[in-house]
Amino acid sequence: MTPVNPIIEARQTAIAAGKGAYLADDSRREIRICAGTACHASGRVALKKAVDAALAERGLAKKVAVIETGCHGFCEQGPIMVLRPQGIFYPRVQPKDVAEIVDTSVVGDGIVERLLYKDPATGRPVAAEREIPFYALQTRIVLGLNGKIDPFSLDDYLAHGGYTALTKVLAERDPSGVIDQVERSGLRGRGGAGFPTGRKWRTSRANPGDVHYIICNADEGDPGAFMDRSVLEGNPHSVIEGMIIAAYAIGADNGPVAGYVYVRHEYPFAVERLRAALDQARERGLLGTNILGSGFDFDIRINQGAGAFVCGESTALTASIEGLRGMPRGKHIRTAAHGLWGQPTNLNNVESYANVPWIINHGAEAFTAVGTDTSKGTKIFSLTGKVVNGGLIEVPMGTTLRKVIFDIGGGMLPGRSFKAVQLGGPSGGCLPSSLLDEPIDFESLLAAGSMMGSGGMVVVDDSTCMVDFAKFFLKFTAEESCGKCVPCRVGSTRMLEILERISAGEATVDDIDLLAELADDVAEGSLCALGGSAPNPVLSTLRYFKDEVMAHVLEHRCPAGVCRPLIRYTIDEKACTGCRACVSACPSAAITGERKQPHILDQALCIKCDACRQACRYDAVRVESGALAPAGRRRK
Amino acid sequence: MADSNGNGNGKRPRTAVQAGGVEAALRGSALYEVLKGIDFERRQLVGKSPGVGLLDLTEKPGGGYNCYACTLCERVCPVDAIELEYCPEFPEQPFDAEAARAAALAAGPGESCGAASACVMGEKPAFVQVPVDMRLLDPVIAGIRSGSGLIEAMHATQEAYGYLPRVALEAIADEMHLDFSRVYGVASFYSQFRLKPVGKYVIDVCMGTACHVAGAPLVLEAFSQELEIPVGDTTADGLFTLQTVNCVGACALAPVVRLGSDETFGRMGPSEARRLVRRLRKQEQEATR
Repeated sequence: MTPVNPIIEARQTAIAAGKGAYLADDSRREIRICAGTACHASGRVALKKAVDAALAERGLAKKVAVIETGCHGFCEQGPIMVLRPQGIFYPRVQPKDVAEIVDTSVVGDGIVERLLYKDPATGRPVAAEREIPFYALQTRIVLGLNGKIDPFSLDDYLAHGGYTALTKVLAERDPSGVIDQVERSGLRGRGGAGFPTGRKWRTSRANPGDVHYIICNADEGDPGAFMDRSVLEGNPHSVIEGMIIAAYAIGADNGPVAGYVYVRHEYPFAVERLRAALDQARERGLLGTNILGSGFDFDIRINQGAGAFVCGESTALTASIEGLRGMPRGKHIRTAAHGLWGQPTNLNNVESYANVPWIINHGAEAFTAVGTDTSKGTKIFSLTGKVVNGGLIEVPMGTTLRKVIFDIGGGMLPGRSFKAVQLGGPSGGCLPSSLLDEPIDFESLLAAGSMMGSGGMVVVDDSTCMVDFAKFFLKFTAEESCGKCVPCRVGSTRMLEILERISAGEATVDDIDLLAELADDVAEGSLCALGGSAPNPVLSTLRYFKDEVMAHVLEHRCPAGVCRPLIRYTIDEKACTGCRACVSACPSAAITGERKQPHILDQALCIKCDACRQACRYDAVRVESGALAPAGRRRK
Repeated sequence: MADSNGNGNGKRPRTAVQAGGVEAALRGSALYEVLKGIDFERRQLVGKSPGVGLLDLTEKPGGGYNCYACTLCERVCPVDAIELEYCPEFPEQPFDAEAARAAALAAGPGESCGAASACVMGEKPAFVQVPVDMRLLDPVIAGIRSGSGLIEAMHATQEAYGYLPRVALEAIADEMHLDFSRVYGVASFYSQFRLKPVGKYVIDVCMGTACHVAGAPLVLEAFSQELEIPVGDTTADGLFTLQTVNCVGACALAPVVRLGSDETFGRMGPSEARRLVRRLRKQEQEATR
C-alpha cells in the first residue's frame, strides 16, 4: 500500500471538514445527557433545558459541550448524565439539581455525593461510570460508542475511529477477502437464528442478478426488546458502515448494489437519527456514487414498517418493501438467491452489521477470542422485567444467565424470588432457576428449549403466573399471525383457547395432552419461523413449570394469584387501619367501611382490578386463590 | 317499506338465498376462485330459517323488520343469490347504484339498510363520514411520483389526516395504477394503519412483555372502563382513542402509557390511568368554558 492512499486521504479530509472540533481532547469538558427512549420518558428534555440555562448563566455555554447521546443502557436510572473528562455518572437527575452539579463538577472538580449512584450491595456511592457493577461487568463491542458520541454528528463518529474499517476495505480492493475475514470471525446472525454471516454473504455474492440488494432488518418486533433501536439511536453510522462494507464485499465486482433499512414505524427517534446520518454520509462522499474516490457506488434507503411482527421474517420483509401485505413464502429458495424484486438479497440484522466494522478493524482473530467455541463475540440483551437494574447490556457469548441476571442485573427486587427468565421473545421459551448456570450461546439455549432470539431477556419473579405468561406470548403470535398458512393461523388460536381454559380453571388433563400435541403440529407444519416457533413458550412452560399448570387444572388454583377467574380479593381485618384509601380507589364501589374501622369488600361487586391492593399502604388487601393465599399479587 | 306504504295485502320483500349457502352458489363461477379464501361461515348471519336459506331479515324489538327494502342487497350480490319478491302493486324500480351506495355509506354503521351484510367482502361502510380535504393529499401524490412506495405513501397519508380516508386510498390506487382492493388489503394488514378518524388524545397502552408482567392488562382495562369504550375505539365526543402498542421499548419504566406522539408515562397503575383520563377531561372542560 502506498503511504498516502487517496482513499485514506479522503477520510482524513472528511475528519478535517469537521474542523477537528471533536478530535479527542482529554481535557475538554463535556456533559453527556442520555437521549434514549427510556430517558426521554423520564424527562431528558427538561434536563437538557436546565443544563443549557445553568451553563448560560455562568457564561459557559460556548466552553462546555452538551451532547445528547444515544442510550447508555442503564434505563432504570434515567435520565442519565455523565460528565467528561472525569467520567462522573449522575443517575435520575432532576432539573433542580442541575445548578449544584454544574457548580461542583463542571466549574469545579468536586462531586455531589448525595446525587451519585449507590451500589445496592454495599450501599456506597460510586462516582465513575466504569466502576458501577452494571457497566463494569459488560464487554461492549457494539455499544462501545453508545453514550459517548452525538448520534447526529458524523464528526464525532469519525473522531472516534469511525469509517476506518470502510477505508481499509476500500483501500485493499479485495471484496472476497472481506467475506473471508467475516467468515473466519465466526460472526453469526444476531437476529435470532444464528446463521453464519460470512456464509450468507458468500451465497448472495455467488448468486447472479441484475442488482444485489443489501437489507438491514431493523424491524425489532419482539415485545420487550430494544437492542437494535438503541444501536440505531446511539450510533447509526456503525450500522451504515457495516452495510457499506457488506455491499462492497458482495457487489463491488459483481454489478450494481442497493441498500434498504427496514425499520419499525414505532421507533421515530431511530428513523430521525438514521435519516440524518445517511444525509451526512452522502454529503461527505461516504455514500452515493464513487464512495471515497474508490469508484464503488452504493446508497441506502429507509423503509418503514407499519406494525406487523411477521415482517421481521425475511420473505415477509421483502414483500413489505415491495408494497404488499407482509406475508412470508416458503423458503425452499433462499432470499440470498431470490429476494427483493426477485433479485439476490442479503439480509442481516442491525447488530450483525454493527459488528462488522469492529471485526475489520481488530481482525477476525480478536473477535474469535471473545465468546465460546460455536458462538463468537458478544451479544446485546435488553434486560427487563422484575430485576433491579433493567436496561441494555452487552456480554460475551457464553456468559451464564446467573451472571447477567444477578451480577449485572442486580438480582430480584427486595422480597421476591426468581422464577423464570424468558429469552427470545414470543419465539423463545422460559427457563427455570435450575438452568441459571447455562452459558448463553446459540446451541445451549436451543437445547434448553429456548432460543437466543434477537436478545430480549425478561426476568419474572414469583408474582408472575406461568400460564398467564405463556398465554400472553401465544395471544401475541395468534394476533400477529399473517393468516396465510393453517397450522399457524388456526393452531395458535386453538392453543390459546386451551390456555384460556386452563387459566379459567376449566381445563381437563386431556386438554394438556391436546395442547402438547397441537404445539408439535404447529411447529412442524407452519410455513415460516413465526408459526414454527410460536409453540415454544407453551412447550417450555409445560416442560419446566408443569406443577403450576397442573395446579390450575386439578386444584383450580393459580399459585401466583394472577388468573382472574381463580382469585379473589379480601381485606385482612387485622392489618386494615381504616384509612379509606382503597375505598376511594375502588372504581366499582365494592369496598365500604367507616374511617378507622376495618373495611369490607363485597365479592359480588369486585371487578378484581387490583386498584385497592395498589392503594393500600398496610398490605391489608390480600389475593387468595384456592387454599393458598400469597401475600400480594405484584409490587408497585 | 311495504308495510309503511299501507300495502297490507302485499308480501314483504324477503331476502332469501337459495339453499346451500353462498359458497355453494358461488362454486364453479369465476368469482369462486377469487373468493374461496374468504371464510363464508364467519359472516354474522342473523336468524337462520331452514326452509328459506341462510339469510333472513332481522326484526325490530317492537315488531316489524329492520329492512328498508332498498333492494341494494339484490343488486350487489355477485352471484345473484338473493332474490326479492315484490308485491304486485309494487313494481320493480329502476335502480340507481350510485345513489344507493351513497345512501348506504351515509347511513353509517348500525343504521345501515342491511345491504352491508350482503357485501361479500364482509365490510360495513367503514369510511366516508367526515369531509376530506383532498389538498392534503397533494404532497403524498407528489411523493409517489418521485418514487415512494405504497406503504410509505400510506404513512404520509396517515400523518396528514390522522387516518386513511377511503377517498385518499382510492386516489393513491389510481395514481399507482393498482386495484383499490389491493391497496385496501395492505391498509388492513398492518396494525399501524387506521381506517377511522382518531380522537384528540390517542392513548397507547404498551403491551410489551415487561409491561405485561408489570400489570399492563389492568391498566388497559381501567382506561377502557373509565372511557367506556372498547380497545381500538374512539369516544363519542371525539376526545379519546384507546389503542395498544406492542412495545415502545421503555421497558425499564413498565407499565408504560403513551399519550399522543410525545408524552410518555411510566410506572402506571389502574388508578393512575383513571386519574389521567379525569385530568384530561377536566382540562378540556375548562378550555371550552
